[in-house]
Amino acid sequence: MNRLSEGKTKKRLFLCFKYLVLILMLIITVYPVLWMIFGAFKDDYEFYNNIWGMASEPRIENFINAWNRADLGQKYLNSIIITVLFLILLLPIASCAAYVIARMPKSKFRCKEIIYLLLLVGIVIPRGVLAIPIYQVIVALGLANTRISLVLVYVAQFLSFSIFLMRGYYASLPKGLEDAARIDGCGWFKSFWYVMTPLTKPGLLTVAIFGGLNVWNEYFLSSILIRSQELQTIPLGLAIFVDDHNVYYPELFAALTIATVPVVILYIIAQKKFIQGLTAGAVKG
Amino acid sequence: MKSRKLRDRIFIITMVAPALILLLAFVVIPLFIGAFTSLFQTTSMTGGGTFIGLKNYVFALQDEVFWKSIKNTLYYAVFITIAKNALGLGLALLLAKKMRGLTLFRVAVFIPVTFSFIVTGVLWSWIYSPVFGILNEFMNTVGLGGFIQEWLSDPAVAMTSICVVDVWKWTGFHMVIYMAGLQKISPDLYESAAIDGAGAWQKFKSITVPQMNATIVLNVLIAFTGGFVQNYDLVKVMTDGGPFNSTEVALTYIVRNLLKFMNVGKANAMTIILVLIVSVFGFMQLKIMTKEDDDE
Repeated sequence: MNRLSEGKTKKRLFLCFKYLVLILMLIITVYPVLWMIFGAFKDDYEFYNNIWGMASEPRIENFINAWNRADLGQKYLNSIIITVLFLILLLPIASCAAYVIARMPKSKFRCKEIIYLLLLVGIVIPRGVLAIPIYQVIVALGLANTRISLVLVYVAQFLSFSIFLMRGYYASLPKGLEDAARIDGCGWFKSFWYVMTPLTKPGLLTVAIFGGLNVWNEYFLSSILIRSQELQTIPLGLAIFVDDHNVYYPELFAALTIATVPVVILYIIAQKKFIQGLTAGAVKG
Repeated sequence: MKSRKLRDRIFIITMVAPALILLLAFVVIPLFIGAFTSLFQTTSMTGGGTFIGLKNYVFALQDEVFWKSIKNTLYYAVFITIAKNALGLGLALLLAKKMRGLTLFRVAVFIPVTFSFIVTGVLWSWIYSPVFGILNEFMNTVGLGGFIQEWLSDPAVAMTSICVVDVWKWTGFHMVIYMAGLQKISPDLYESAAIDGAGAWQKFKSITVPQMNATIVLNVLIAFTGGFVQNYDLVKVMTDGGPFNSTEVALTYIVRNLLKFMNVGKANAMTIILVLIVSVFGFMQLKIMTKEDDDE
């Protein structure tokens, strides 16, 4: 009897410990985010003197000033254009390649293995390492300082991972399905487009979230490929705004908030899909 | 029959061609252009210059700052790999059993994953700030004031301070992956081990680790290869390589050689050296990812 209750106390203590860790982690991850939002509403005095809490009188004009001074409207527009074009190109290009790798019998598709390995070259060389020679290629193509150069480079950088992922989805579809479509008179393309691809929606969503978020947040390549101010994306614009020494700090925090909050809201609305999308590369099956 | 074969072939080619062309243009060709340009002394992005053989590699390897940047890059990659995986796996193990509030917690720790490195870096520059940063304030409040550092301006701690930010951003990501991996292990295994009288550590060692082998290796490789390239953004906004090159990483130094010193040849030589180092691990990652494919 005594031992039993001892075990119970132990269990309870362990649960307490778990909650302690949980709450500590929660504070460490969430408080900095809240702190950023709090700071965005403060005036100069409170920014330095009321460090921890919320502003006593929230200043909305910080946001308006930040929006205007950092030209965030234009930056949002650029980021949206680039991310949308990126997805429009990436999804079909990756799907097409993944489909033939996954579904074409070897008798019809010689050197399939070699081509698949070639398509995965991007996994061997991580994104960004080749930034300097990529810049040289872009200059040589006469595409320097254009949105389309960024889009093309991004698509190329994400192709290998996307093809790898999509191949898995196509390969897992039952063979009978395609045979039935073929007997009904569908050609390869028709069965690819109308029968198989609609069934890979979860995969497409994963690629879209993973790639889209990465491109939306990308800084390194854009800082090298984009020179003119009117083409800057949000991360690029923010990094430059920060370097401006005359910046008014609450406005800087407002700019950070404006840049982050829409994505965070999107994430919270679709958190299951987001988490699945971003972790799918590392969890299999 | 023959035309059918031809049609199939045309179909295959048109399906893979766009992907192949893009990968050739922006991954394979840049690799060769980088290797080629690295043999020239030049300040031009579009070619030309004097052929100097492997001298740029000699210059790079004789450059103390370059060595320092490689060392920092390795430190960064090793630090974040160990920290992210230890924390991620530890938290996943601790929180494996269902408990109240877990879903909310999972959603919350994933928020920083959606942040850009720029926002993360700027935010943390202020958290570390000696003037009104919350870190020092916090340490003073809880009586750890003696441990306060010049987080970003002391060469001895600046690199670690930046690494911590990267760990902050990604720990939730690794934790979620490990949680998913743990869920796939059959509870029967643990039950029969418990009957055999195995303790917690024994269960971890002989069930969890072997069962999660692939997940662990992939997580380690993702963190490690990421550590070579993702550090650019954070370093750029937080310290820009300073103080005294103490946070200079390979990519920031390569870009500095290109944009500031206009040494295109040497920047490319350093790029190729970095590619050689990273691709070893990238190749391992590819091997593991495709091996699992074959098992399916």
